[in-house]
Amino acid sequence: MEDKIRRIYVPMTESGFYILFCLQEPQHGYGISQQVKRMTGGAVSISAGTMYGTLSKMEKDGLISFYREEDKRKLYQITELGMEILSLEIKRIERLYKNSKGVDVDE
Amino acid sequence: MSKTLVRFFTIADYEEEEIWLRRQHQSGLKLVKMIPPCFYVFDECQPEDVIYRLDYKNSEQTQEYMQMLRDFGWEYIGQCMGWLYFRKPADAAESEQDGELFSDNESRVDMVIHVVKTRLIPLAIIFLCCVIPGFTRAMSGKYTGVLGTFFSILFGIMFVIYIYLIVYCGTKLRKIREKYKL
Repeated sequence: MEDKIRRIYVPMTESGFYILFCLQEPQHGYGISQQVKRMTGGAVSISAGTMYGTLSKMEKDGLISFYREEDKRKLYQITELGMEILSLEIKRIERLYKNSKGVDVDE
Repeated sequence: MSKTLVRFFTIADYEEEEIWLRRQHQSGLKLVKMIPPCFYVFDECQPEDVIYRLDYKNSEQTQEYMQMLRDFGWEYIGQCMGWLYFRKPADAAESEQDGELFSDNESRVDMVIHVVKTRLIPLAIIFLCCVIPGFTRAMSGKYTGVLGTFFSILFGIMFVIYIYLIVYCGTKLRKIREKYKL
């Protein structure tokens, strides 16, 4: 994996994480924001400009790719590189979580 | 009835511009279009609390972008010198983020950087390459006659305006960036 991409995306912003996580299934921007609201009970809400900007950046960096178009809406899906980054990030969050509960981890 | 107001906002005043447009709508004037550089055309309407937001895109905006903004409940009003104008009734915004175009500081800072790169830096380059040489030539008395006086005054005025704009916008954009810095 390219080190540069890894440096940019690990650790990830909260919006970045949720967007990448949701794109394990093909989805468009507005769909992702609705799903994130549902998942988090409304605690995390991603605005239009942030959504568009993050999707464009992630597509350019190869973390997600264009899936197909549906009524002028672009559907995206996570790529292999995106999956690698996502699992790195999940591992990092798991470590944070365990440590926050006072549990030591050795990876 | 339509009404045109004149108001000048620099590239660093978009947050004030959003508030100003919202106030206009609260007092019964809804924005119809902008005419560069500083004319705002309004229609009289029922006073209402409507949130106005500006996004900066110096390049052509894609169909995907416009569709996404529509999906999120934003009405597109028009564009003026790279700025896109959107609005949404305040009671349609379910949360604070729903009433904003950007929900995290990273994307807010990205927009500021984009404005600096594509507007402020070109302004500084024009200043360095055209205004300063013209101004120094005028000061050293290279321009003579009536036309010469005219050029000297013109460069003098441009010199002052450019310095003001660059210093004002530079400081203010830096302040906005710092406000949102992670």
